[in-house]
Amino acid sequence: MIEFKNFSKTFNPNTINEVKALININLTINEGEFVTIIGTNGSGKSTLLNAIAGTFVGDTGNVEIDKNDVTFLKEFQRADYLARVFQNPYSGTAPNMSIAENLHLSMLRGKKRLPLYNLRKSKKNKLSEIVKELEMQLEDRLDNIIGSLSGGQRQAITLLMSVINKPKVLLLDEHTAALDPKSASQIIKLTEKFIERDNLTSVMVTHSMQQALTLGNRTIMMYKGNIIEDISLNEKKRLTVDDLLDRFAELRKKEKLTDDMIKDFKNEYF
Amino acid sequence: MELWIGALVLGLIYSIMTIGVYISYKILDFADITVDGSFTLGAAVSAVLITLGVDPFTSLIFATLAGGLAGMLTGLIHTKMKVNGLLAGILVMIALYSINLHIMGRSNVPLLQQPNFMSFFLAFNPNLPEEIWLSICMLFVISAFACLTSLFFKTDLGLTLRATGDNSIMSSALGVNVDSIKIFGIALSNALVGLAGGAIAQYQGFADIGMGIGMVVNGLAAVIIGEALIKMPSIYAKISSAAIGSILFRFMIAFALFAGMNPIDLKLLTALFVLITIFISLSAGNKVRRKKFVLQKKRVIIGLVAVTAGAVAFVAVNQLFDMGSNKSPIPDGSRKRIGIVQVTSNGVLDITREALLKELEKIGYNTGNLEIIQKNANNDLANLNSIIDDFNTSKVDVIVTISTPATQAALSRAKNIPIVFATIANPFIIKAGTSDTEHLPNVTGTYGWAPMDKTMEFVTQILGDKFKIGIIWDVGQANAEFNVHNLKEELKKYPNIELFEANISSTTDIQQAAVSLISKGINAFVLPPDNTLYSALDAVLKASNNAKIPVFLNDVERLEDGALGSMGHDYTSSGQEAAHIVDRVLKGEKPANIPFFKYSKLTCGLNLNAAKYLGIKLDKEVVYKANYFVGTKKVQAKKKIGIVQFAMEPNVEICKEGLLNGLAGYGYKDGDNIEIIYKNANADFPMINAIMQDLIARDVDIIVPLSTPVVQSSVQQVGGRDNTSVVFTYIYDPYKIGAAKSSTDHLPNFTGVACFPPMKEMFDLIKEMYPEKKKVGVVWNSSEANSESVIKFIRGFVASKGMELIESTVTNPSEVLDASNALISKGAEIFLNAGDNTLNVAYDSFAKVAADNNIPLFSADAETIYNNTIATLGPDYYRTGFDGGVYLARILDGEKAAKIPIMQTKETLLYLNRDVAKRLNYKFANTLIKRASKIVIDSTLISPEKLSVNILKEISK
Repeated sequence: MIEFKNFSKTFNPNTINEVKALININLTINEGEFVTIIGTNGSGKSTLLNAIAGTFVGDTGNVEIDKNDVTFLKEFQRADYLARVFQNPYSGTAPNMSIAENLHLSMLRGKKRLPLYNLRKSKKNKLSEIVKELEMQLEDRLDNIIGSLSGGQRQAITLLMSVINKPKVLLLDEHTAALDPKSASQIIKLTEKFIERDNLTSVMVTHSMQQALTLGNRTIMMYKGNIIEDISLNEKKRLTVDDLLDRFAELRKKEKLTDDMIKDFKNEYF
Repeated sequence: MELWIGALVLGLIYSIMTIGVYISYKILDFADITVDGSFTLGAAVSAVLITLGVDPFTSLIFATLAGGLAGMLTGLIHTKMKVNGLLAGILVMIALYSINLHIMGRSNVPLLQQPNFMSFFLAFNPNLPEEIWLSICMLFVISAFACLTSLFFKTDLGLTLRATGDNSIMSSALGVNVDSIKIFGIALSNALVGLAGGAIAQYQGFADIGMGIGMVVNGLAAVIIGEALIKMPSIYAKISSAAIGSILFRFMIAFALFAGMNPIDLKLLTALFVLITIFISLSAGNKVRRKKFVLQKKRVIIGLVAVTAGAVAFVAVNQLFDMGSNKSPIPDGSRKRIGIVQVTSNGVLDITREALLKELEKIGYNTGNLEIIQKNANNDLANLNSIIDDFNTSKVDVIVTISTPATQAALSRAKNIPIVFATIANPFIIKAGTSDTEHLPNVTGTYGWAPMDKTMEFVTQILGDKFKIGIIWDVGQANAEFNVHNLKEELKKYPNIELFEANISSTTDIQQAAVSLISKGINAFVLPPDNTLYSALDAVLKASNNAKIPVFLNDVERLEDGALGSMGHDYTSSGQEAAHIVDRVLKGEKPANIPFFKYSKLTCGLNLNAAKYLGIKLDKEVVYKANYFVGTKKVQAKKKIGIVQFAMEPNVEICKEGLLNGLAGYGYKDGDNIEIIYKNANADFPMINAIMQDLIARDVDIIVPLSTPVVQSSVQQVGGRDNTSVVFTYIYDPYKIGAAKSSTDHLPNFTGVACFPPMKEMFDLIKEMYPEKKKVGVVWNSSEANSESVIKFIRGFVASKGMELIESTVTNPSEVLDASNALISKGAEIFLNAGDNTLNVAYDSFAKVAADNNIPLFSADAETIYNNTIATLGPDYYRTGFDGGVYLARILDGEKAAKIPIMQTKETLLYLNRDVAKRLNYKFANTLIKRASKIVIDSTLISPEKLSVNILKEISK
């Protein structure tokens, strides 16, 4: 479904702030796979997600989504294939518009936006049914503006908006990181529910090693712009968090990682 | 009432623009300054299309499209070139200034007699007052428009637009092409602004390059007011709030005008009004925040009450200040009211207003019988409309509009009130009429454009006719454009003068424009009137002074700032004439029957300090032309000058005026560096000697005797004195009375200017007018020295002209009648008054005999022109005086009178009388009319250049 071929990206090339964010990435994600990505800050995990979303154009290599070369397509053009949930719950919704209007807009993904009045009563009834799935009692508040909702509710709406049209790829960018634990677990549950129900090809960046292991059927570990581990479902089932840390220990030998780096890693994930 | 209805209609039309501003500012979250340009663009497109015959509604469609195109451009620059939104807007706005000028072809397009969208609605008027019916129609139209716009924002595209403004990250993630949507939104916003611009142009009756200035600020103010008062989430409420804000904003301005507020404070009031609304909505909002989604009637009511209370307080304060000044004990019925409006404050307009007010007072108006309401729009064209509406409401008897924009506003808004305009360059461009007599029935006034022909005559007289001139002008000023056009036309007469021009659009450009012209090697600046330029003239003067380049203006008031010369209208005469027209209208005359008055009185000024600094030597003829001087010479001690006249008579006053101007032209002014003592003998001969002795006792340095008896006395009293010089003038013949033997052989302390009547020229004139008549009859007093020398002079040449002089002498006035009849019996074919004093006393008898016998009467004395005299030809007494003044200055400079030869004035003045010619069935030759200084038409003296075509046809061959 998603394929990277020799993909590289350097930010601020030839300056003092030069960052090699992605180095010669080759990666294939198959249809229906739910991939979790872990890595330290600056490892390139979010950059990889953005490379799929199309926020920037790569320096070398190609990206394909659903067998289409999207290397040079802009973000909004790729939006026909994929949907995103951001870390910031304020990013995914229009705060001054109603829940119904937001959901309606998300349903226009990949369609023409004509000056036609389509958000009628019947449409709202349909939306009400869909919102019920969130089990947040929002179905009666469809005309309330998003700005009046809590962060968790907003993120739930964003999630609903991203899956409402069954996208080919769902991108989740640490989408529970900014929420309180209760809302976070609610959102994770909803995420699993929607992905399973529609068998969505999904890529999720996470800070939680536990989440990375328990969710999805494949885990990718990134470091300094490289994919350093690619763990399959079978392997994941056997692995514990400690095993993962051991892998880092091995890496340390292989790649001469400093103790500091491991400390970083531990600090980040535990 | 008209004021409020007018404000409502204006507010409704402007609400289209406000909704446009709301779209960019609130919905798209994009501070778009394009508005100032696209508003004018819409107006320009609509106005030009209408003048080309396009239907007004169709023109509005094009105005909308044009506005949209401008917005699209801003959007493209912002999104595709990644230029900051504010900057993108500014860029397009600035560019539009030029484009709008190109579209209009000039800075102002009048639409006065053109079809407009209002007439469509007025066609269905069920007999309501026009403005009221229009306001009802507009209320429906704008409501429908607001509903449609709101509905649009509920469609898929509209929702996308709102979402993009609300959260562009989300929009992009949902697959929205954010750039395209932004471009579309800005285009939509400006399309509405363009539509509003077109509609306003049609409503106010003209499009003007400056009408968009400040629109974005007005729009934002309206949006903020509306938003503060109406806080409902529904898009209908939001769009309506913008429209309501617009109406409230206009009401606020109307109210300020109604309260008689100083327009200077209008902008301050705007800011306060916006702040108050925001404050009220905040403080009221805190308590009821929970009910956010319910219509907060309370808050609206509190807001409105507070605003009203504030406004009432404002009026109260204003009234307090006004107390006593405008109150009149006379009941309103017998008291007339006039409203005076000017577009802004500047020298020319203020002079006009002051002269008008003074003249009204002179005519006999005072606060008891006339209430004068004075308004100033402070350069805000929209305010002009409200001011006129205010006059309509308060039912003034006459509206006086000073300046062109004020007149334009009045023409389109005050159809039933007499309008008297003053100091506008050209009433025909703004369709006030087609000629001085054919004009709108309720309109008349005074006008005149800057005399570029006279200006160039003046400039070339100083600088020769081969040089380079630089002009600076604001392409956005209608008058400037017109003046520059006239200048260019005039320059066609001067093939060796090269013109360099620099255009400006604001005062900040002036300095650079001046420097760039100087670097092109110009020799002089000629600066036709231009409001922008003249408001920051110092920038040019500074640069020109550094480069030592002379500057010429058309506003004498500005001469002191350092320009060399000025040739302009005397705007006092414009104001005075307007006052007389106002008087006629107030007394019941219909403006339709009062012709436009084109003022022609010129004020020509010279700055002697500038001339000295620039090293330019001013020719005497140049100085002669001027009647206003800046700068005087430095002297060690003020010298005393005694000016003595025999009696009060018009010609001697003219002579004195010339004398003082001659003095001033060479740097001497009374009270400044000389002291002048004026004396008048009041036709009492013994008095003359007493005056002379008094002056000698006062140690007067120079005595100026005017007229023969006074000169005679001075010869006796001060002839040959060492420390008193005499400069005589206003005398026929100084050689008879012992002052001189010839022009160079004269008393050592005497010199002066003689004005012997131009008798050879007189006989040439007679010959030219009546070639077949040979016998010229004169009556004269043989004991009058002056007459004797004149008659002797005539006898000397008359035969050589193939003519014959028939004389009849008298000793006192009672003999004139018989003497005149005697001339008839001797076969005189022409009567001539050669300037005899006795004859002058009984001139009526002389003229009557001439008239009874159908004999043309000529005279050497201009004052007799009204009295059955077909033509007078006499010395130009102003010139005589001027030359005397120049002699005076030379003596003040230290020259000795003995070395200065006596001068004879050669310049003559010819007056003709049409009334007499008509009686005699005589028609003047065109060349003669052109030579005449004045012509009597229906007992009134008129300059020949001001004669109407009909009269010219009637009186000429």
